[in-house]
Amino acid sequence: MSGQKEITISPTTRIEGHGKVTIILDDAGNVSDAYFYATEIRGFDYFLRGMEADRLPFIISRICGVCSTAHILASVKTIESIYGTEITETARKLRELLLMGQTISNQSLVFFFLTLPDFWFSSEEDPSKRNAFQIMRENPETGKKAITLRSFATKILDVIGKREVHIVSVIPGGLINPLKEREREELLKAAENACAITREAVALGKELFEKNWADFRKAGDYRTYYMALTKDDALEFYDGKIRVIKPDGDTFSEFSPQDYMEHVEERHYEWTYAKFACLKALGCPEGTVQVGPTARMNVNKRATTELANKELTEFKRKFGSPAYATLLFDYARLIDLTYACERARELLEDASITKTDTRVRVKPKEGRGVGVVEAPRGTLAHDYVLARSGRLKHMRLIIPTQVNSSAINLNVKDAAMEFIKHGEVKPGLLNRIEMVVRAYDPCIKCATRRVGESLQVEIRNSRGELLKVL
Amino acid sequence: MKVNIVSLTCCAGCVSSFLNAGDAFLEILSQDFDIVYSPTFVDLKEVPEVDLAIVEGGVRTEADEKLIREVRAKCKTLVALGICATHGGITSLGNITSVKRLMEKEHFILDSSNLPELEDLMYPICNFVDVDYYIPGCPPMPLLIVHSLKSIVSGKQPLRHQSVVCTECHRKIIVAKLDRLYGIYEKEADPNLCLVSQGFVCLGSLTREGCGAPCPRANFTCFGCRGPTDSLLYRSRDLYTFLVKVISRRTSIPEDDVRKELYRNPFIFHTFIFSKFERSKARERVI
Repeated sequence: MSGQKEITISPTTRIEGHGKVTIILDDAGNVSDAYFYATEIRGFDYFLRGMEADRLPFIISRICGVCSTAHILASVKTIESIYGTEITETARKLRELLLMGQTISNQSLVFFFLTLPDFWFSSEEDPSKRNAFQIMRENPETGKKAITLRSFATKILDVIGKREVHIVSVIPGGLINPLKEREREELLKAAENACAITREAVALGKELFEKNWADFRKAGDYRTYYMALTKDDALEFYDGKIRVIKPDGDTFSEFSPQDYMEHVEERHYEWTYAKFACLKALGCPEGTVQVGPTARMNVNKRATTELANKELTEFKRKFGSPAYATLLFDYARLIDLTYACERARELLEDASITKTDTRVRVKPKEGRGVGVVEAPRGTLAHDYVLARSGRLKHMRLIIPTQVNSSAINLNVKDAAMEFIKHGEVKPGLLNRIEMVVRAYDPCIKCATRRVGESLQVEIRNSRGELLKVL
Repeated sequence: MKVNIVSLTCCAGCVSSFLNAGDAFLEILSQDFDIVYSPTFVDLKEVPEVDLAIVEGGVRTEADEKLIREVRAKCKTLVALGICATHGGITSLGNITSVKRLMEKEHFILDSSNLPELEDLMYPICNFVDVDYYIPGCPPMPLLIVHSLKSIVSGKQPLRHQSVVCTECHRKIIVAKLDRLYGIYEKEADPNLCLVSQGFVCLGSLTREGCGAPCPRANFTCFGCRGPTDSLLYRSRDLYTFLVKVISRRTSIPEDDVRKELYRNPFIFHTFIFSKFERSKARERVI
């Protein structure tokens, strides 16, 4: 037994935001529980009360600089649902294009900068070299492609959203600025290039993934519920209904985004600043549900674009439907990327996207509304109550990482049980925990509207005394 | 040059913005920077000794405070990137009330033995350590970051932006005759006229230039994310009174009415008044 000895290995790296893991041992020194949790809070839910509705979307985007566009879109959809606003078709197309930009920027960031180093280098590689910057040094061509792909996404956000991070042009009622024909042509050209790079990224990802699949499939394999937006059984990010499927793949429920809060509930624990979320009908932990790339592939039967549909079909054939292995998130993320590039190109090929009717007048009302989009990390829901004065009375946000927290905990506990026996910790625990946590691409900033201390792994005994810090 | 990139309490938008510089980012990476510590991208666990530390985010917990002190002690030059690091930023809105007390009342009982204590307020990092360069913005524009860092790397003083956003905005200022102020969603803005002259509460006349005025160019009001200009910082001018005068002059609405309207909505000024920014320390260092 390691007794009171403490080892510190922190922070856990290459995830967006930071968290902490505590592993609790029973008297025999075996794992009795494990938590993945957040250690800090910024308090958006509290200090935004009293904010005027017309300032909410662009302030709320500050929850997360990585997925700010998804937050803005969820926010304006919420306000529009309270006001009863119907936006124009042109505005809808532009917003979907922005969301594709968001998806490309995030999924390419995660693939090239966060997870690729795990596949690219062997696990014996010097950890100080296991990162994207080293890949760029060894293979500048790959670095160039990663940056070009991301630049396409940034260009969409800049040209249509008018800022690259925290866009300003999206408002309740539509968009302030229409897209100009010259801009459309430029973006379309960039889209062609982005689609080509994505094809290479998918091929590279698949090759590296297959090489490591024997190891990967062991790292977490949970049969949970899955949830995503769907439109006629096809992959959808902006509109559509929410579908929840059971672990065996049958539909559990299907509902309108407006009813989201009737189906998902939050649960808080005293040991974390983040709230967890699971299916209301089943409670926690029975109602553990996963959202994000794998969930999108499991919930949907097809994709409306050619290559994404081909990849989706292949994914289902290889891994089954639903597919369970945790690290498949990394694979499914590449299908998201393929879809987003193809869909962006499709939207840009349609010249009617430059029509100037991007904005309708809104009529402020009091009331409650919910707005949902499929953010890169999964289904994102905003729920506001506006007072007659037009100010925010109450706000509730359910963020993908909150939903996935339960499943992340199962994975962490599993890894802990595999590596800790009778108080002995086998080497490789931290690496395994990092990989399963990283697969979810958790955004702790979002889950707690905060970002905090780096991820740490703590091992405590049944009396809560600290035994070890990894 | 060895570089640490550190994130305190923030949204990570500032480092995203740096990445968004695209080819310029690749160039700085291949020629100037050896990023040795950056929990988002690199697997190094301990903060190493370096030449340059780039810090995004402010200090909300004791863990942030401990980290920023360690980062300062281990670098030669420290750059505060973004409004949270320089002034406290959006999280400073939590300074209006006690976030901690609200949480205890409404949220849940916390077992604080496992969690870092919250500070009483959100602080910019200059409250705890010396900062060599401040690059405010929410986030700062990619090229502003790259140009500033390039100068710092080559030992030159980065170009300082001392004037207001209005100097980068092409709109024409007129004296209009209006009877009230407008929310940005209430009417469509004329793309050629000053937004204040149209009755919108635009903070461009208080805010430091250097961003290229992307928000006014998009028919959206400036919300002050670059923080106050040198003249407002050092001459202790009353921001409210200054803005009330500007708006009143350009709209012909009596000062009293403008004042009432602005006092009704304290959120307008989040980047200016809720932060615990120590302006005396920032002299000549804000880029």
